[in-house]
Amino acid sequence: MDTGMQDISKTSKILVGIVLMILGFLMILPFLWMFLSSFKTSTEISLSQSFWPKHWTIDNYENLFTNGSFGIYIKNTLIITMASFIGLFLNAMAGYGFAKFDFKGRKFLFMAVLATMMIPGQVTMIPVYLILNQMQLTNTLLGIVLPGLVGAFGIFLFRQFMSNIPDSIVEAARLDGAGEWYIFFHLILPISKPVLAVQGILTFIGGWNAFLWPLIIANDQKYYTLSVGLQLLQGQHTSDYGLQMAGSSFMVIPIVIIFVIFQKYILQGFNIQMDK
Amino acid sequence: MHSSFLKKIVPYTFVFPALLLLAIFSLIPIVIALLISFTGLDITGLGDWSQIKFIGFSNYLQLFQDSAFLQSIMNTVVYVLVGVPLVIVISLTIAILINSGRNGFFKMMRLVFYTPSITNTVAIAVVWTYLYNPSLGLFNTLLAKVGVGPIGWLTDPNVAKFSLIILAVWKAVGLNMLIFLAALQGVPRSLYEAAELDGANYWEQTRHITLPSLKFSIFFVTVTTLIGWFQFFDEPFIMTKGGPLNSTNSVALFVYQNGFQNSNFGYAAAGSFVMFVAIIVATLIQFKLQEKQRGE
Amino acid sequence: MKNVKRTVLMVISLLALFLFLTGCGNSNAASKKTLTFWYAGDGDTAVKPIIKKFTKETGISVKIQSIPWSQYNDKLLTAASSKNGPDVLLMGTTQMANFVSSKSLLDISKYVKNDKALNPNNFFSGSENTTKFSGKYYAVPWYVETRVLYYRKDILKSVGYDHAPRTWSELYEVASKLSKRGKNMYGFNVDGSEPTFGFMFARQNGAQLVKNGKTQFNSSEMVSSLEYLNKFIQNGVSPKQDQKLTIAQSFGGKAPIPMFISGPWMLSTIKEEAGLKDSQWAVAELPKGKANNMSVTGGGNIAVFQYSKNKTNAVKLLKFLSKRENQLTYYKNSNSMPTLKSAWTDSSLKSEKIQVFRKQLNNSEAMPALKQWEEIGQNYLKVWEPIALKNNNIKEAMDKFNKETQQLIDK
Repeated sequence: MDTGMQDISKTSKILVGIVLMILGFLMILPFLWMFLSSFKTSTEISLSQSFWPKHWTIDNYENLFTNGSFGIYIKNTLIITMASFIGLFLNAMAGYGFAKFDFKGRKFLFMAVLATMMIPGQVTMIPVYLILNQMQLTNTLLGIVLPGLVGAFGIFLFRQFMSNIPDSIVEAARLDGAGEWYIFFHLILPISKPVLAVQGILTFIGGWNAFLWPLIIANDQKYYTLSVGLQLLQGQHTSDYGLQMAGSSFMVIPIVIIFVIFQKYILQGFNIQMDK
Repeated sequence: MHSSFLKKIVPYTFVFPALLLLAIFSLIPIVIALLISFTGLDITGLGDWSQIKFIGFSNYLQLFQDSAFLQSIMNTVVYVLVGVPLVIVISLTIAILINSGRNGFFKMMRLVFYTPSITNTVAIAVVWTYLYNPSLGLFNTLLAKVGVGPIGWLTDPNVAKFSLIILAVWKAVGLNMLIFLAALQGVPRSLYEAAELDGANYWEQTRHITLPSLKFSIFFVTVTTLIGWFQFFDEPFIMTKGGPLNSTNSVALFVYQNGFQNSNFGYAAAGSFVMFVAIIVATLIQFKLQEKQRGE
Repeated sequence: MKNVKRTVLMVISLLALFLFLTGCGNSNAASKKTLTFWYAGDGDTAVKPIIKKFTKETGISVKIQSIPWSQYNDKLLTAASSKNGPDVLLMGTTQMANFVSSKSLLDISKYVKNDKALNPNNFFSGSENTTKFSGKYYAVPWYVETRVLYYRKDILKSVGYDHAPRTWSELYEVASKLSKRGKNMYGFNVDGSEPTFGFMFARQNGAQLVKNGKTQFNSSEMVSSLEYLNKFIQNGVSPKQDQKLTIAQSFGGKAPIPMFISGPWMLSTIKEEAGLKDSQWAVAELPKGKANNMSVTGGGNIAVFQYSKNKTNAVKLLKFLSKRENQLTYYKNSNSMPTLKSAWTDSSLKSEKIQVFRKQLNNSEAMPALKQWEEIGQNYLKVWEPIALKNNNIKEAMDKFNKETQQLIDK
């Protein structure tokens, strides 16, 4: 477990701590503002720039849960989030394939994967919709999940990290007679814990905040997610800041929990020397 | 014979599922978009496909006579040249700083630096608009106390671009820091111990052990950040709508304005393929550089 | 062998999930009789009660799908391109030209002509004009918006005016006085982010924007109205750029911007957020220019989707929504003002501030119904910005704009 850390003296550690604290405060400021504003009335948000609410109120939260069908939205959001973890797994597989095998067309295919990152989603939105429509997948949960299931970013991330794993480990396992899938499950995935954790956090956030496809694909509100439900509460010309901040603060809680759980694994690095 | 065939097929079984999905939902749509870029597709053609006319390269020719497009290219070049190095250096520095401790405080800091990525965009816009506000904003109030200012953070065409870069860097640091942190775990402690025995100090260890071990992840962050900044969109869209005087407009925002606001889908698609070529060239250069490095 | 088993297991479980996910959808096949109605915003509070009444009266069930405003256009685009969409839908007045030209909306002229309840004369002419394209009707006006002048009564009084400015010259005079109250104080907001703002003033000055397919953006009326607006900016009477202030900061308290032009949605925003007493502010009809005081009409219409499989019932719903009592219920639920003139006699619209909108509606028209209008508006903003910031020559700028816009329309 003792990897990836340099030793530094106690005084410089304190110094580093102070620097981090100041920078950290600047980073978290809007987050805190979002959270505190969810306890303000709209008048107060508009009127003053003060940080602390003058009159604490939970009206925004009450509004949030009485407006709209949040039970259904939460259910859909959970289903989509769980499904997106299949994508995480497919990304890991592809990343491993690109990192540790030499096969015909590897370079070309990998560039094709990266190329999908280079065209803005707005340009391909309508073609994707038409394809799903042809496949009769509009207005299904599958149609909502599929377009975002795998992504070049994830595949690339896994490829980079798995390239770091010495070939000798894989070779040794092969000599021991292990099958390719066995190696992947029992060797590669366990030592990829840190990057799985990072990608897991991202996958969770992506699924949890899913907005565009649930909206475009669904022809029925019963497939809406939390993000869509929140956005519904906005008017054409007006927006209720208090309500929006309450909604966002509520949506962020599970993300923070997942982050805290997963970040433990970011700490558990792999020790290459340990295995062989 | 049989087993060698199986061996050949193995790599494809790993990449196939992901590639299939990408092909259907990304590559084919990109090809369709490429075809669209050679048409004059607008809202009429969208509803009635028989109205779509192929116009060859007209969209592309027109783009390079469109001063708004040319300016958005120039702006995007500035975004990439300034933004990419800033993001890499800052997130790497913060990752190394955070990695120097293991107690609750440093764990907390991981989350703290990640919060910009999970803060609601409206909250970000409200807070930063306030910080940048010319008369009431915090930045100008502080500057006035030391006798500087006022600076038109978002209203001065020469400054606005850099104000948006500050905001975007602030937002991007968290994710890249996480990636670097994960990579730092791969550096065996024994290397540091050996270096210490040789009398290397902290900076020497960082330069000769930490950074070289991170080269895979630095490459990753460079490529993805590069692609991201070429597509710089959210910040100008939320904060300035491309103004003042088009000084913050990016190619991606230009594409959005033409495609989705004005329904000139053909023209917008052409704009995004010009950008596509630029990104692919920049990415290939990165890959070549990496290969050269590896060869050394 | 073990890994083969594992793979098979995984494939099976993936298939199971696939089936589960597809199984969740496609329930529409069974309920073809149900109408679908696309509504922008939160339909639960605003339209559900009206729809319930419709189902009770006719036995036709209706499924409302609420879609956030920010994504409504995207959603309409996917419907237009796939020809797979709702039966009845809300259309923003500014979206009409686009979706008529994509042939997504049903021509309902025969119903409009044969049904007394849908008679165009029942509606404000500004609203009716947004439903009519080359003599054919594609929608029925449902709610209406128009711009009026918002002003701070108490602050105008403090500089010696007990009424809102009634003419252009009075507007400048009052605003100019108000701007001399101190540093960072202005009199009026010349809105640089609203594409219709300059065009609205041009029409008040007698300009026609597009005449028989020919653009008129460099007419002397247009140019002199922009010169009038530019005077506010160059003399510091109006801010040069959007100050990004909340309504409480710009209009509440000492009111750095005590006069501005906006639509009915501002009423509730000011009430809720500005922290003002009701007597401190008011609305007034727009000040009169050389020709008139014509405002800009916006709002929403109800249309039937061209590819609906249930057009007869869809038209029934459209008619039902247009009834006086239902427009009034909709007003009560959403504050969106009725398009039926007869609805305005109802007691719920009696308040003084609301009645200002009623009067303004007699003098309010939408912008020209061109599918390129959105682009023309955005281009205009880009022409206006350097005028405001760098005091560019207006005539030259508008000559160029006029030529480019003509090319755009002819394309």
